[in-house]
Amino acid sequence: MGALLDAFAGKRIAVVVGSGGVGKTTVAAAIALSRALAGGRALVCTIDPARRLASALGLASLGNVESRVPTQEFDRASLLARGELWAMMLDVKRTWDDLIARHAPSEAQRDRILQSRIYQQVSGALAGSQEYMAMEKLYELATERDYDLVVLDTPPTAHALDFLEAPDRILDFLGNDTARMLLAPAVGAGKLGLKLFQLSGSYVAKTLSRFTGSDVLRDVADFMDNFQGMYEGFKSRAAAVRGLLGQPEVGFVLVSSASPLSIDEALFFHGHLRAGAMPVAGVVANRVTPDLWTGDAPLPSASSLAASLGGGGEADAALAARLARTLAEHQVFARSDGRELKRLWRGTSGAQVAIPRLRSDVHDLGGLAALASWL
Amino acid sequence: MWTSRPPDDSLSSSVADPALLDRRLLIVTGKGGVGKSTVSAALALVAARRGKRVLVAEVNAQERVAPLLGAPQAGPAVRQAIPGVSTVNVDPRHALEEYGLMVLRYRALYHAVFENRVVKFFLRMIPSLPETLMLGKILHEARAENAGHPRWDLVVVDAPSTGHAVQLLRVPSALLDTVPGGPMRRDAEWMQRLLTDPARTALSIVAIPEEMPVSETIDLNAQVRDVLRIPRGPLFLNAMPDARFSPEEVRRLEGLREAPPPLGPASRAALLQAERAEQAGRHAARLAEAVDLPAVTLPLLAVDRWGREAVEGIAGALEARV
Repeated sequence: MGALLDAFAGKRIAVVVGSGGVGKTTVAAAIALSRALAGGRALVCTIDPARRLASALGLASLGNVESRVPTQEFDRASLLARGELWAMMLDVKRTWDDLIARHAPSEAQRDRILQSRIYQQVSGALAGSQEYMAMEKLYELATERDYDLVVLDTPPTAHALDFLEAPDRILDFLGNDTARMLLAPAVGAGKLGLKLFQLSGSYVAKTLSRFTGSDVLRDVADFMDNFQGMYEGFKSRAAAVRGLLGQPEVGFVLVSSASPLSIDEALFFHGHLRAGAMPVAGVVANRVTPDLWTGDAPLPSASSLAASLGGGGEADAALAARLARTLAEHQVFARSDGRELKRLWRGTSGAQVAIPRLRSDVHDLGGLAALASWL
Repeated sequence: MWTSRPPDDSLSSSVADPALLDRRLLIVTGKGGVGKSTVSAALALVAARRGKRVLVAEVNAQERVAPLLGAPQAGPAVRQAIPGVSTVNVDPRHALEEYGLMVLRYRALYHAVFENRVVKFFLRMIPSLPETLMLGKILHEARAENAGHPRWDLVVVDAPSTGHAVQLLRVPSALLDTVPGGPMRRDAEWMQRLLTDPARTALSIVAIPEEMPVSETIDLNAQVRDVLRIPRGPLFLNAMPDARFSPEEVRRLEGLREAPPPLGPASRAALLQAERAEQAGRHAARLAEAVDLPAVTLPLLAVDRWGREAVEGIAGALEARV
């Protein structure tokens, strides 16, 4: 077992984070697979896997449903499954709907919220909505199921930090002081009213409706009215989620490529995890170009390669020239990657793993097992 | 492989439409990490060399285009990066302020209304308002005229990555579907006209020859064609490694993998390159098969740091193709 997998001995939850396109999903699936091969019951919850990987995990169509990866997939890759590998694909909209249903005091109120245009905005388009639901689903899986390890593959956000801040931001949005003020019962009215309606004659409201039309304001008021009474439930649950993430049974895994932007992002995120006292299990640098010409010796010339090829023919000379160019280009990537990796290792803690650019895309359990051998 | 396809009638650009860089608005999108900003910067550079005044607009991004051109970041205000090319990073807050001022005309009035806590809260809840404002700001730049002349010959939008780009560009048609009247609808009307006008607008997707980016490009292309209905420009297939070793050579190099330096390391580098080129070729073939667009292939450049020099390299590869 490698350094990163060692770091997960005794942990129950892995949260895999990193900027988009760095291979978070495959790393997450490889961590879960390792636990399953070692005899554990492991679940990987992913957001948007590549199609072939999804089908290898049995995720062809199932949204938000945990399903066990069939043993034939293990057989096909000549792997012995001593434990169980489970997988699911997060359905953001369904998770929101479930959460509303969980907190709504009545079916009628639930339906009014689900049908609101503003709810569509909050659940679908509001920045951080996906991240919030990923956290929510993780909490549900961690507290209501009995997996030995739950691995969460986080949404492909431009900024990994969005993931940590999303719940607070959305809750702040749904429940800030402004909202409380708006939701305060109107004085003297026999039923709950909204100060918004008192506001509606004001200059501010009139100006606002010049931009949006008055229907939109009415929609917002209705939504807030319906959401009233549910806020506290949302808030305490989010606090529980946040509390869970600080537990020692959780480990964050930062995944990065060797590109400067991706490494900046990983370093930034690492700083925030440390500042928030959240446990970092390790850092994975993915798709690193291996250094094939270490040391200070100058790169070989075409003529020295031609001499090594033995022949003196034109074909050998042409091949040697291409070899020299290819090695030189390779080393440009390798040195750039090496420099960036040093920066990553200097600035992070926990297990540190570099995975070379693999020979093919990972799209079956065999590929995942090969990836896991680096972890 | 790209050129062997017969002309396709479903392609929205036709002979009558202007060349890509002769349009007023060019939207560049694609999966994160495929080089959208580099391609946007290179397209701007090529257009500027043809004597055009170009604006590159980034959308609420970690600003990259100006630094790629060797200039400091512009922030929310338009700033010249190099002669002929200006950049701006559009964010919702500043777009709102600009729009609000345009409608309300007085800064004091703007602050009274939009800096109001209640209003700020409501603005966050209004469906698609940030997208509307940012897209409105960019499209306004594309159609703005000073004394009868267009303010810019070309506006290049370095759009967000796939999902967010569709969300952004769908805004006008969504508003037209849901907002019965009023100022937002009127804005949506001219925005949608501009976006769907092949004489003025084109959208190009940037892809790289890898599995996920190719799958995403195939989906995105269908969405642009069938849902957004924005006229499509060529596909930019970026970071394409060239197949430089023949199968016979690969077989020979396999036997030299463990040879002492320099031949062993050079052979291993060559085998990695050959394998990467072979895989890229397969992904590119799948893309060509599934996407009904002409493609401009851009080489995988061996550069240590991405900057002006790398953009020049891409611009050189683009020059004769757009």
